[in-house]
Amino acid sequence: MSTAVVDYTREEPVVAGRPTASEIDAVVSAPLDRPPARTWWIAFGITSTMLGIGVVCVAVTLWLGLGVWGVNQPVSWGFDIVNFVFWVGIGHAGTLISAILFLLRQRWRNGIARFAEAMTIFAVMCAGIFPLLHTGRPWLSLYLTPYPNQHALWVNFTSPLLWDVFAVSTYFTVSAVFWYLGLVPDFATLRDRTTHPVKKLVYSIFSLGWRHSSRHWTHFERAYLILAGFATPLVLSVHTIVSFDFAVSVIPGWHTTIFPPYFVAGAVFSGFAMVQNSLIVVRQVFRLKHLITLSTLEKMNKVMIVTGSMVGYAYAMEFFVAWYSGSQFETFVFVNRALGPYAWAYWTMVTCNVVFPQLFWFKKVRTSIPMMFVIAIFVNVGMWFERFVIVVTSLSRDFLPSSWGHYMPSIYDVGIFVGSLGLFFTLILLFVRVLPVISLAEIKAVIPGAQPERHRPH
Amino acid sequence: MSTETHSLPPVNKSLPPEADRIGLILLAAGVVLVIAAFVFEPVRASFDAVILYLFMVSLAVGALFLLALEYITGAVWSVPMRRVTEFFAGLSPFLLILVLPLFLHIHDLFHWSHAEAVQQDPVLQGKAAYLNIPFFVTRTLVFIGIWIAFAALFVRHSTHQDITKDAALTRSNVRLAAVFFPLFAFTITFTAIDWGMSLEPHWFSTIYGVYYFSGTVIAALAAVTLVVVLFHERGYLPGLRRDHFYSLGALLFGFVNFWAYIAFAQFLLIWYANLPEETYWFIARWENGWQIVSVLLIVMKFAVPYIVLLPQEAKMDTRRLKIMAVWLLAAHFVDLFWLVMPTHSESLSLSWTELGFPLVAVGMTVLLLSWKTKRYNLVPVGDPKLQRAMDFHL
Amino acid sequence: MEKHLYGLTALFDTPDAVVHAAEETVKAGYTRYDVHAPYPLHGIERTMRLKTSPLGYFALVFGLLGAISAVGLMTWITLVDYPLVIGGKPFWSWPAFVPVAFELTVLLASVLTVVSMIVIYFKFPNNSHPLHDTPFMKRVSSDGFGISIEAADPLFDEAKVHAMLASLGGKEVGAVYFDEADRDHGQKVFDLKFIGVLAGVGIAVAGFAYLALNVLLYLPPFDWMMVQNKLKPQAASTLFRDGIGMRQPVLGTVARGFLPYAFKGKPEEAGKSLANPLPVTQKVLDLGREKYLTFCSPCHGNFGRGDSRLNGQFPNPPTLHSDKVREWSDGSIYHVITEGQNVMPSYAAQVSRDERWAIVHYIRVLQRAQHAKESDLR
Repeated sequence: MSTAVVDYTREEPVVAGRPTASEIDAVVSAPLDRPPARTWWIAFGITSTMLGIGVVCVAVTLWLGLGVWGVNQPVSWGFDIVNFVFWVGIGHAGTLISAILFLLRQRWRNGIARFAEAMTIFAVMCAGIFPLLHTGRPWLSLYLTPYPNQHALWVNFTSPLLWDVFAVSTYFTVSAVFWYLGLVPDFATLRDRTTHPVKKLVYSIFSLGWRHSSRHWTHFERAYLILAGFATPLVLSVHTIVSFDFAVSVIPGWHTTIFPPYFVAGAVFSGFAMVQNSLIVVRQVFRLKHLITLSTLEKMNKVMIVTGSMVGYAYAMEFFVAWYSGSQFETFVFVNRALGPYAWAYWTMVTCNVVFPQLFWFKKVRTSIPMMFVIAIFVNVGMWFERFVIVVTSLSRDFLPSSWGHYMPSIYDVGIFVGSLGLFFTLILLFVRVLPVISLAEIKAVIPGAQPERHRPH
Repeated sequence: MSTETHSLPPVNKSLPPEADRIGLILLAAGVVLVIAAFVFEPVRASFDAVILYLFMVSLAVGALFLLALEYITGAVWSVPMRRVTEFFAGLSPFLLILVLPLFLHIHDLFHWSHAEAVQQDPVLQGKAAYLNIPFFVTRTLVFIGIWIAFAALFVRHSTHQDITKDAALTRSNVRLAAVFFPLFAFTITFTAIDWGMSLEPHWFSTIYGVYYFSGTVIAALAAVTLVVVLFHERGYLPGLRRDHFYSLGALLFGFVNFWAYIAFAQFLLIWYANLPEETYWFIARWENGWQIVSVLLIVMKFAVPYIVLLPQEAKMDTRRLKIMAVWLLAAHFVDLFWLVMPTHSESLSLSWTELGFPLVAVGMTVLLLSWKTKRYNLVPVGDPKLQRAMDFHL
Repeated sequence: MEKHLYGLTALFDTPDAVVHAAEETVKAGYTRYDVHAPYPLHGIERTMRLKTSPLGYFALVFGLLGAISAVGLMTWITLVDYPLVIGGKPFWSWPAFVPVAFELTVLLASVLTVVSMIVIYFKFPNNSHPLHDTPFMKRVSSDGFGISIEAADPLFDEAKVHAMLASLGGKEVGAVYFDEADRDHGQKVFDLKFIGVLAGVGIAVAGFAYLALNVLLYLPPFDWMMVQNKLKPQAASTLFRDGIGMRQPVLGTVARGFLPYAFKGKPEEAGKSLANPLPVTQKVLDLGREKYLTFCSPCHGNFGRGDSRLNGQFPNPPTLHSDKVREWSDGSIYHVITEGQNVMPSYAAQVSRDERWAIVHYIRVLQRAQHAKESDLR
């Protein structure tokens, strides 16, 4: 028996070393006060070019219509829905970190919550593009809301697509409120740090006049807890409802009862991969290694192996029950996924989602920055292909062989996807320049010696 | 300035002799009733025995899951009450006794076990590779074997630590937990499919294993909560404070919501798609009196515990926690009754044969707890996290 | 400008020191004081003897509001305002309402709770508090812990408070002042600037709305598909040799339901070959009556006697009760309606086939009424 490496008698510190509160302020707000470095401009150039490609492709789509996309009959859901599910999934890690880990009192989340929440908001923005474009005439999207219109028509409340409208918009709003609420004390701190009059004005407005009053903090903490309590079922509901888009139908491969928890696990899985990837870059560039510690990244990798295994469990259950059900359509769909024309996508998905993350069982891999970075990229690729496999294989070959088809994306499909990636990373690059990437108030609360030792409540 | 610490509770008290007596009387009465049930109404009794088996699997394997969860997440607050969880995990060897009468009544329980029925049914022929008696019996025994092995290893490391105080034992239990989780997912899923889903061999639902899992965790948590609170009230676990009970209550509340989520997801998808090969399972539970049980289940396992446990104070209040724990154990029993019994009787009926089985469950558990408290410390005194756990604050 | 004393502030280095100071402040009986820290201090609410935040009740009320309004709206729409069968489900499909009801519950509960907190409990936004821009605020914003005791406290005595704060180990104990003028310069609704901005925003929004709804929506690609790459029937086309966009049907094409009449100009054959396909039912007779009164009665009269208002202005329309007509077969009457006779034109365009046959039945009713048999009267 090897000797215990971990000291169980003491809590593992969230922050490495003993930085003081003012040192934390200085290091976190440093990127806000100095002009961007050359590397930032290069990165920004790349992402905004990608965004530009996306804008052009969207413009072409609007001008000429959806005919320029690769969708066809029977595959009327193509890249747009794949990307929608992909982006909504990415968003889930943010709320998981900020709300669920908060409720579970995982204090290591304090260093990464702000960044993850920002990613949530940006990812939901990227996700929103696709269903709107898919409607064909996005400028009429007011019809998606139930309002008393001149046609005396209402939306269809029994349609999961309508549930999506409510789920995604609620998710976006609540995430934004959650994010902003956490930012209020930090705006106050920035307000009191800055010497620049314009910045001071802006920070003052957004800080609402926060005075770090303990009377306010009590309400603030309560509200934060309540928000976390609501955000937790909300985040489950969002991807559950996205899974309903598929699972309430009778299409083989879509209609299966495990879809809701399976989608949620997959969403968290891919979201954590994206957060981990971005954080590795951020902590490197902004010298935040003592605040976003290796141990935090290791914990994220552990979450990935858990959720990745849940996804693997769902794949296995689907396969088993497809056979067990004795339904020839179900059986065919799964054989077709593994051996049919899209087998390459299926095996990419299995390899990236189930096989590679198993490397995280080894502590060496879990704590090696390059290894975890590469594996997380694979996870994102794999999760994108998972949605591709679900959407395309089931639609391209269902009940009637005479109605089978094949789907290949057009250049515009690819361009819009590239554009959404560009939008996402452009927003992240702007975010790290204008807002503190780590919640100052939250990280200060968990540095050693931050809390009173005496006077503990009983 | 001194850091305030909380003293450790006394650890080697055993339950009073009345516990043995009560446990023995309950168990004896239960066994007599169960034997009578098997003599007079063997088929009904077999179905009741399936419910008992699934219930005890929930307690034993659910407790194992909670143990593994503590180790893998590095949770601190649950350390002082871990022994209770370990005691429940000690139920796993008795599953072998509970499963034996079921093996003798396989033909009464499972439509697929009749060769002549399978011969006329192409769907069942397709499943014969999985649903056949030798494989079925083998995998059930292997699953129980896995649970017994893990329960023994977890508990042995933990109790051994009482003497050696070796932190390496915690580390080996963490490793054990990592290995246990995939096996747990596998065994609990296929136990649910074998003993629940395959009662209706044509019906299928991919979420069934997760559904049983959610109920399992509720039952195990409720059982642990109940015993921890009872022990605490009688001075066996005096070190626990509101902070500990809050964590327990919050976890229970969380899993009540999780169960409701899984149950609703399964219902909504089948209701919405409206495929006859799936809906008949729910229709059978919405006709001939079974709708009463269906509604009762929603009220018992979700609505009432949700409302009761929602306020912050409720999760710290031992009295409310105790009542909810008993309530949820009953709810899990109703859940299993609702899953299993409609296969036996098309219309809702209650029989005297049902009486003996819960008595066996309670009697067995009381005797086991009494015996375990004589043998082991009530608190894992050697656990390196124990002091932190006693000082635990929200 | 007159300076008023807001209160005294003191800074402390460690959380323990500030908690201790807060304890003593409470003991001394002060009520209008505050503890400032850059992050929430654990247990401070108990030290300060603050009541538990009632925001949970806010969330409960707003959540219930969201749930009830969502379920209410969906119930009213699907049961009352516009019942519609969708997917063979009942109008009131409660399982399908759960997602939207849940989302609205969460939305209202979270957003309104936060807004209530900010407006009711914080009284924010407020950037003109006396503590703003003080060195004290700059410290507690970053790494300091502070206590402020307001002059408005009933027990406030500047010297005593000063001494107490200093004795508790407070550093930089100092007074904070505010100007009365600063206090008053709150926002006024009738401020000319405010009204001006409001009006400007209103005009801009109205202008944009006009532009969007009346101009933008009629430009491609937002043009409601008015410009389409298709050939309109009356338009010229270069595709066809005759230069006409519209095409003739292929020779011999018969439109559905428009088989040509087989007995054109052959009244005898029609009388012999055609039989009335319709049964004599109340429904058919009602149809026949309706069509007869519309198309036949202007000449033949309401009862088929040929006594309409047109009597005497034309060659008189014949009675339908003559022996000739009564002895005609159904087919012959049908033929006359279809083809016309003498001055009577064809009614094929106005009256469909089935209607013609219904009229024939109705004429038989009229004839029977005029020539009732004895058995009919019984």
